[in-house]
Amino acid sequence: MFGALAVAGIVHGLIIGLTALAVTMAFGIARFPNAAAGDTMTAGAYAAVSVHAATGSLVSATAAAVAASAAVSLAGYLLIFRRLAGRSLAAHLVAAIGFAFIIRAVLGLMFGHQQRVFFLPLGWPIEILGLRVPPLDLALVVVAAISLGFVFALLHGTAIGREMRAVADDPDLARAFGISPDRIMIALWLVAGAACGVAGMMLGVKTVVTPEMGWDALLSAFAAAILGGIGSAPGAVGAGLVLGLAQELSSPFVGFTYKIALAFIVLLAVLLFRPRGLFGQRDAVR
Amino acid sequence: MEAYLLAISVIAAIYVLLTLGLTIQYGLTGLINFGHVGFFAIGAYTSALLSLAAVPIPLSLAAAALLAALAAWPIGLLALRLREDYFAVVTLGFGETVRLVITSERWLTNGVQGIPGIPRLFAAELATVGTTLTLLVLAACCLAAALVMRRIARSPFGRIIEAIRDNEDAVRALGKDPSGFKTRVLALGSALAGLAGGFYAHVITYISPDQFIALVTFYAWIAMIMGGVGRISGAVLGALLLMAFLEGTRFVRDLFPGLVSEVEMASVRLGAVGLALVLFTLFRPQGLVGDYTRR
Amino acid sequence: MILAAVEEINSAGGVLGRRMEVFAEDSQTNPQAAVLAAKKLLEVNRVRAILGTWSSGVSLAVIPLTNEANAILMNTSGAPALSVPPANAKGLSFRFQATNDRFGRAFAEIAQREGFRRPATMAFNNASGIGNTEGFRRAWAAKGFANGEHVIYEPNQPSYRAELLRVLATRPDVIVMGSFLPDTTIILREWYQMGVPVRWIIPAWAANPQLVQALGPAVTEGIIAVDTVSNEGSPAFARYDAAYRRAMNQPGTANVYAAMAWDMAVTLALAIERARSFDTFAIRDAIRLVANPPGEAVSSFAEGKARLAAGQEIDYQGASSVLDFDEFGDVTPDFGVFRIERGEINRKYVVKI
Repeated sequence: MFGALAVAGIVHGLIIGLTALAVTMAFGIARFPNAAAGDTMTAGAYAAVSVHAATGSLVSATAAAVAASAAVSLAGYLLIFRRLAGRSLAAHLVAAIGFAFIIRAVLGLMFGHQQRVFFLPLGWPIEILGLRVPPLDLALVVVAAISLGFVFALLHGTAIGREMRAVADDPDLARAFGISPDRIMIALWLVAGAACGVAGMMLGVKTVVTPEMGWDALLSAFAAAILGGIGSAPGAVGAGLVLGLAQELSSPFVGFTYKIALAFIVLLAVLLFRPRGLFGQRDAVR
Repeated sequence: MEAYLLAISVIAAIYVLLTLGLTIQYGLTGLINFGHVGFFAIGAYTSALLSLAAVPIPLSLAAAALLAALAAWPIGLLALRLREDYFAVVTLGFGETVRLVITSERWLTNGVQGIPGIPRLFAAELATVGTTLTLLVLAACCLAAALVMRRIARSPFGRIIEAIRDNEDAVRALGKDPSGFKTRVLALGSALAGLAGGFYAHVITYISPDQFIALVTFYAWIAMIMGGVGRISGAVLGALLLMAFLEGTRFVRDLFPGLVSEVEMASVRLGAVGLALVLFTLFRPQGLVGDYTRR
Repeated sequence: MILAAVEEINSAGGVLGRRMEVFAEDSQTNPQAAVLAAKKLLEVNRVRAILGTWSSGVSLAVIPLTNEANAILMNTSGAPALSVPPANAKGLSFRFQATNDRFGRAFAEIAQREGFRRPATMAFNNASGIGNTEGFRRAWAAKGFANGEHVIYEPNQPSYRAELLRVLATRPDVIVMGSFLPDTTIILREWYQMGVPVRWIIPAWAANPQLVQALGPAVTEGIIAVDTVSNEGSPAFARYDAAYRRAMNQPGTANVYAAMAWDMAVTLALAIERARSFDTFAIRDAIRLVANPPGEAVSSFAEGKARLAAGQEIDYQGASSVLDFDEFGDVTPDFGVFRIERGEINRKYVVKI
């Protein structure tokens, strides 16, 4: 049984991880927790399910999700967060919540509240290492891995990626080196949005697409971002996996209702005992 | 018509109390509490359960406020070592966890079935009399809360709180530990939320977990921001505006039947609250009557 | 449909010679808004009865107000609390839908009839889901059978594998669900990919054409779907159906609640006629006189009014059910049993409890 739960945990964990990646990047570079990440996911999911319904292709659905979420994310930056530069953290937080509500309301009006589902063929489980893995899960893991590959290649292999990491590590120093903040920010919000889009699509494939789906996933994403250490991309993904696995594996013990609270407990524990998380660079918590 | 307006005023007064609690926390110290609804819920359930166990309502309301304050204490102790945005995330989780506990512990709260038949404040035969009296009691509580706020703001305790808001390091350098003060403020604001929750239970007479969702916290936030952060009059104005908005949408549908379905109206309301949050943050962060120093 | 029914009533001469007037408010399916809506109706519009509250939360919040105002509440909610004091202390609440408990009993009848012996239950964590499954378990135990595993699951989860594993570990032959469409979709999809055979009894609001469309015929093959059915053979249904088609361009079977709403208006009107008074308590007592046997079966307001005028007792056979109210003001509709076969949802038989 634990094997089957572990498989579920890995897929769940990757979904959390991707969103946590978006959150940690925004947190690390723009320096506030982006509460609109969940609803950005939802936007991607709706784009994906609409395109998939029209074309039947998961690849184009993924592309649609990435494009939609990246666009929404960039819009948030250009219209809202850029104008809040220099303002208090509270202003960013409140504005992010407001933006999240707006996205959710628009999606609700555009698509209605009835669930949308991806019509994908279901198959018998595949045996891997003695575990029965549903082929859909396998496909999702592959998609996630490829997306993560892209993001890490960007962060570590390109100039803009290096600059983003520099800003995350030390914004003042980065500015001293002449790294242009606006370019970085645009890149940041596009990439973070794209990650949310993939996560949203995955969640939509795994479950159903409704306007509330992203908001419900938000707390886990925050917990994973903090657990992994703010600003650390691999930390966020790793923490997401840990959290996903923990939630699934703990349910026989804590019950199906309280396993949701696990994210909260992890959050508290990390902030109390190891505020910089597993891979965080500095104790920026206080 | 008066009875209907009375009923709206009662709900508005509850929101005023809730918003005042938030204003104490955020307006005076900058604590970002995204879990306000959790204390509202604790207050509602406490007063409901106690009054159904034959405890007189004034006592059950006091207990509601007290329990909410007590619940805030450990949150305060734990979370006040954190930067404001981490605190916000933790409180968001707290609000959700309260709802989960209410849902799960059916032996205590009847879980998702909710608790019907909660006694009213004034079980008068004439509904209007009862409602008017309730409104008066609520108004008195709001007034008391406002006066307490003003006293705190003017006291040495209050001056320290203002100082914390503006510069915590300086306060610490003077040898004062902000944490203790912050915890007390958090507890006080939460007590008000708990009291508001208690009143809510006795007015609606039926409570269930899905009435205590995160959206309620953000209603209080938008009320506070619209009215003007840190100002008592701001909290009152904001809560009234919020109430006018929420009830006003009822009449929009009367005026334009068929334009928007009920389900769509829910999305429109959500979007409007979100838009208000963004626009006020961008263009008028001091709210309608707030002070300019607050950004 | 309330408006349509009232139109017919008024064109048949109204109640006791007076026109019925309808005021509509939106509860937003939210107890707080419902309280304000009810306040407006009761105090501004001075309505004598409130018809059509659907969600249990709304009905439970509104009923203290209607009780206080001595108004009748006619609802289609499922919560058991509406039948008894304190909610129904004055007996002014009349429920036109089956209680959650009755749904559960119907499930039990069906499970027994289909030959299952080891049922397990899965419930969505809300009043309706839990009410249905607990009703099932009580009824099943009352038949002398043993109940199996019972799992309550939370909404909006990315995976229900843990919940499924818990249930399937006990090797049930059927799983009885108190569920809704999104979670049913997710659970069945996960189950199918686990490759463990089991049968399903699911409420028809979850096991509907959308579910079939979402999952495909292979996954949904053999699912037993259950819902209350309107009193479809009756002449009352025919009248309602005609009105529904005029208004909505769809058959009346599309919306069981609309049939209930139609019946609410007719029942109320007939009760007023029978009571020969507008006093709430007289009307309350008259409701059972006009809706329950004994009496001449009637199927419309005009017919009933005529017979009452001729001094006869009547028994209104409604569009939604035969409308025999028990001492709690609850009715027992019939339950339709459907099976999903090759992607089609086919009615197999009707169960009476």
